[in-house]
Amino acid sequence: MSMNGKKLIELRGITKSFDGEVVLDNISLDIYEDEFITLLGPSGCGKTTTLRIIGGFESPDSGDVFFDGVRINDTPPYKRHINTVFQRYALFPHLNVYENIAFGLRVAKVKDDEEISNRVREMLEMVNLKGFERRHVTTLSGGQQQRVAIARALINKPRVLLLDEPLGALDLKLRKDMQNELKNMQKRTGITFIYVTHDQEEALSMSDTVVVMNEGSIMQIGTPTDIYNEPKNAYVADFIGESNIVDGVMLDDFSVKMSGQTFVCVDKGFGKNTPVDVVVRPEDVDVVAPESGMLRGKVTSVTFKGVHYEVIVDIGGFKWMIQTTDYVAPDAVIGIDIEPDAIHIMNKSEYSGMFGDYSSFSDELDALSENSEEEED
Amino acid sequence: MKILSRIYLILVFIFLYAPIAVMILISFNSGESTTEMQGLSLYWYREMLRDSATLEALRNTLVLSISSAVISTVVGTLAAVGIHRMRNRFLRGAVMSVTNIPMMNPDIVTGISLMLLFVFVGTLLGLESYLSFWTLLIAHVTFNLPYVILSVLPKLKQMDKNIPEAALDLGCTPIQSFFKVELPFIMPGVVTGFIMAFTLSFDDFVISNFTSGSSFETLTIHIYSMIKKSVKPDIYALSTLIFAAVLLLLVVYNMSDRSERADAKTEKRRTLRFRGKEGGAAK
Repeated sequence: MSMNGKKLIELRGITKSFDGEVVLDNISLDIYEDEFITLLGPSGCGKTTTLRIIGGFESPDSGDVFFDGVRINDTPPYKRHINTVFQRYALFPHLNVYENIAFGLRVAKVKDDEEISNRVREMLEMVNLKGFERRHVTTLSGGQQQRVAIARALINKPRVLLLDEPLGALDLKLRKDMQNELKNMQKRTGITFIYVTHDQEEALSMSDTVVVMNEGSIMQIGTPTDIYNEPKNAYVADFIGESNIVDGVMLDDFSVKMSGQTFVCVDKGFGKNTPVDVVVRPEDVDVVAPESGMLRGKVTSVTFKGVHYEVIVDIGGFKWMIQTTDYVAPDAVIGIDIEPDAIHIMNKSEYSGMFGDYSSFSDELDALSENSEEEED
Repeated sequence: MKILSRIYLILVFIFLYAPIAVMILISFNSGESTTEMQGLSLYWYREMLRDSATLEALRNTLVLSISSAVISTVVGTLAAVGIHRMRNRFLRGAVMSVTNIPMMNPDIVTGISLMLLFVFVGTLLGLESYLSFWTLLIAHVTFNLPYVILSVLPKLKQMDKNIPEAALDLGCTPIQSFFKVELPFIMPGVVTGFIMAFTLSFDDFVISNFTSGSSFETLTIHIYSMIKKSVKPDIYALSTLIFAAVLLLLVVYNMSDRSERADAKTEKRRTLRFRGKEGGAAK
């Protein structure tokens, strides 16, 4: 992993507020060369502001930004070796595709027309837009505009590329294709990509490193597998994928009690009789016959999701989400089994008890909140 | 009902254009009468071209309206950019109100107050004649400015704030960003502002009457002074020519506007077609 590479950008104690409202609260972050790093969080968590501070469009109230070891707090954007792909592309509407992409070279006073044309062609090839040179940017589809924006940002060979929710406006299929393309582009060019998104799936599938943010603070920094398998607190566990987060007591190393039952787990070092949060992913729960299950409960709802059924089960008043390929009938009583390595233990945090119960769960509500997230930032 | 509404429409247009039609007709009259057509001729057009005072007034008016339009377009565009960038909402509101007042203010009030100011300052400086081309120019720039600002501001608001940022991101200094990216974007608003300023300045009478000295006569003032003596048909000839010029300007402006709209339409159609293709390829 690229963690072994050279440190390229360091954020040290960055604080920023707008109109008295704290948007970033003492953020510190290291970004390495050749890394695909994603800032992930809901709207208003400060991810875009962090990006804008790195790009030079905002300056921090306090704290320092270092680039290659040099403090760049007061360096304007046009003097940074950083380029940006903006959320709504921000292409120049009075220029055609060719001139949009060539813009950076023209500003840099590259006089040789042949060099410009070669590099523009190279960029167009990279983003699969050969033959679009003379097209007007307003005649392009969202996906094509996106590609022009990427080509325009990469032509000056920046050391870092900032991407601010670049796929937010594309439809699902196109978005998946672009995710792969962006990942490949990053590998091929070796440029550090700093990617901002609220889509956890996107973050997990593309990144070397994921930074989970909430309310101006960094919750956790780690590889996608770390973040998914070892969430630091209830907030991260809930934000990344689905999770059941149950109140529990760590009886001893490798032994945790929840819902009135004692389970074997693989975690240790929490001490004896320590209150903890227990995370169990819905796909790790096995449905068994009621009499042979470790826990028993009544099915309250079943939703067909294509690959699996999403089942909500009431176990002692706590609603669990289970994903299973076997159909269970609503109102049936079922038993569940959980393997030791499917149990993840977290220390109690300020987020304990706020997430991970599916009693008020509704797909519709989920979809609504996701839409509203796309609005701002 | 349909016939009634059509008749109504025709009446409205007659009401609007009959005076102009009569004026155009009489301008071709060969006699001096303003009531009786004695035959068609270009006599009064020739007369008008021979009248050096009228021609000078026309020249003065063109010089004044073009220079005041240029100045107010430059100053007004810069002002709009400044107002647009103001972060303090209260301050921006205050500046906008101050900008709008000269527009709402009756011309006669603006004219008298400007005259008073010029006389006052002129006395302070000990000038011989208080009013001149320069006071007229200042007055015209003053009443043109709000129109330019109001036609440029909406274009600035339309512009995604990321667009100038993208220019900075790609290496432009703020000045370069303004000329390379922002100005082309707001250009339609700037042009509209210029045309408005030009026409307002061209046909202004009230404010000009108060702020021009005897040394500099604009067309409107000249015509007014002629009417006081006797109305000769060469004024109709001149008015007809001005009307034709304005009509031409309007037609050209509308045509460029329409071609822009047509562009947008074909572009939209093209985009839809390409969307379709993309969808097909995905399958």
